[in-house]
Amino acid sequence: MTTVTLPLNALATGRRVRTHRQRVMVAILIALVLFLFVLTLTVGQTVTPVADVIRVLLGESVEGASFLVGTLRLPRALLSLLAGFSFGLGGVVFQIMLRNPLASPDIIGITFGASAAAVFAIVVLAISGPMVSVMAVVGGLSVALIVYGLAARNGVAGTRLILVGIGVAAMLHSVIAYVLSTAPAWSLQEAMRWMTGSVNGAQLSDTAPLVLVLIVFGGLLFSQHRDLDALRLGDDTAAALGVKIAKTRIVVVFAAVGMIASVTAIAGPIAFVSFLSGPIAARLVGNSGSLLIPSALVGAVLTLGGDYIGQFLLPSRFPVGVVTGALGAPYLLYLIVRVNRSGRSL
Amino acid sequence: MTAHMGHRLTVNDLSAGYGETDILQGLDLDVPAGKITVIVGANASGKSTLLRTMSRLIKPSRGHVLLDGKSIHQEPTRELARKIGLLPQSPIAPEGIPVDDLVRRGRHPHRSLFSSWSARDEQAVENALIATRTFELADRPVDELSGGQRQRVWIAMALAQDTNILLLDEPTTFLDINHQVEILDLLVDLNQSRGTTVAMVLHDLNLGARYADHLIALADGKVHVSGSPEQVLTETNVQAVFGVASRILTDPTSGRPIMMPIGRHRMIDQMTE
Repeated sequence: MTTVTLPLNALATGRRVRTHRQRVMVAILIALVLFLFVLTLTVGQTVTPVADVIRVLLGESVEGASFLVGTLRLPRALLSLLAGFSFGLGGVVFQIMLRNPLASPDIIGITFGASAAAVFAIVVLAISGPMVSVMAVVGGLSVALIVYGLAARNGVAGTRLILVGIGVAAMLHSVIAYVLSTAPAWSLQEAMRWMTGSVNGAQLSDTAPLVLVLIVFGGLLFSQHRDLDALRLGDDTAAALGVKIAKTRIVVVFAAVGMIASVTAIAGPIAFVSFLSGPIAARLVGNSGSLLIPSALVGAVLTLGGDYIGQFLLPSRFPVGVVTGALGAPYLLYLIVRVNRSGRSL
Repeated sequence: MTAHMGHRLTVNDLSAGYGETDILQGLDLDVPAGKITVIVGANASGKSTLLRTMSRLIKPSRGHVLLDGKSIHQEPTRELARKIGLLPQSPIAPEGIPVDDLVRRGRHPHRSLFSSWSARDEQAVENALIATRTFELADRPVDELSGGQRQRVWIAMALAQDTNILLLDEPTTFLDINHQVEILDLLVDLNQSRGTTVAMVLHDLNLGARYADHLIALADGKVHVSGSPEQVLTETNVQAVFGVASRILTDPTSGRPIMMPIGRHRMIDQMTE
């Protein structure tokens, strides 16, 4: 058997260049997330000095800043951040698992399932608090099961699953609209939350538990990252590499839906963040490494940035979902046209 | 590289298929260790189904695929993936992925969640790249390569997996004839230098007969005949397996049998009449 003496550095060098690029991109994304987070805390209709923001965060009472930063801006920034992470991460794992960017949970109805369940719980059953999140998770998982069940016929074909999902999403959208219309006391702003997502009126008590949700489900997803990497080579190749496909799928669907639905129960189905984050992350860091962290970061940039634009940079105030929706729709069209033209899956 | 003991892969009374219908119907065969086995047969004879069942992508409805006497469908997936490698018919390369990164994925069954990239992993990837002559391509994106190069990269990935048995599902489909020969030559190299047991489905009967140590002809979900190419490639067998009359000649280069089908037209006596 031949052992070739190593012309070693050739491989290592190329790899170093690639990982270096990835790290730089991730560092830039982290910086961008931090910048937008601080921006949301400091600059609104009025500017609060960073020193005051820090004092508020440390628990001091600062006149003029405590309410503005502590009660209004912090919960909003935190919810945007967590929602962005969750939608970005939950979206990309679906896209990887089904090897199609259109297979993200917001396109195939899962996020709307969670939203419909949450709105049903609040309006019809008059529930509030953590039970709403539980209902949302149950709603999201049920929709995942229904879409999968309807698409499964001699194996699940990706395209069929997506088409079924789009149909289910449209149905759920009208369910949400119907339930909202039976609740005349609701404001337009509140209704928008359940249709396109919003972080208006975020409260720390609702938002803080999401940290735990993200740690648990996010951790579960990260534990699958190598199997997900293998799945990108096709189900057959992944199985040949020793991936237990059915088990990986169950864990990923459960964790991703749990995470997305919990966020949706608070912030609504923030439009297209799940759908956009993965492909943007892939464009930025390339396809060599894992996309989970970059995609979560892109999600946070989209949500924080989208909310900031919606609040302050447009002629009137819009919830975050309107801004991200306006970004996502053209991309959706572009993808569909491109898939049609090249005839391949993405 | 590890010197493997030859693992023995056998198939016992195997029935398998998709959904309700069994395509394989009580099939028995042996894959001789350290040899090149080629499986041939008409469309829908069950070639691919057989290969997919042997690499446990399909669960049998009856019978067993045995590796050293143990059913592969009972062995932990990851452990099995260190013994049997598979190159499926249409693997998918993520857009823009460099060759090196793709081949590295072959180490998947040797790594756990927290283990870092080891010297052994590195060595396996390097050897795989060198053996398939793709080392120079290591930094190039897979989707920019030619069909033949791409297929060599996929074989490199399967080699990085460092298995004793390598299964390939029509590895020469969609390739030009020069690349077909190149890939098959490469598999002979690997068989000779590493002692890898190779079993593959081929569409081309003559290339199969040229490269096989052991040739298996399937018909109707069963092994119709198996043995050396000379034993298998006879006019009667070709008639039974492919339903076509033929003449068997001897390839002057390899000394192996080649099959010339006989149709209804273009015969010398017709043309002189």
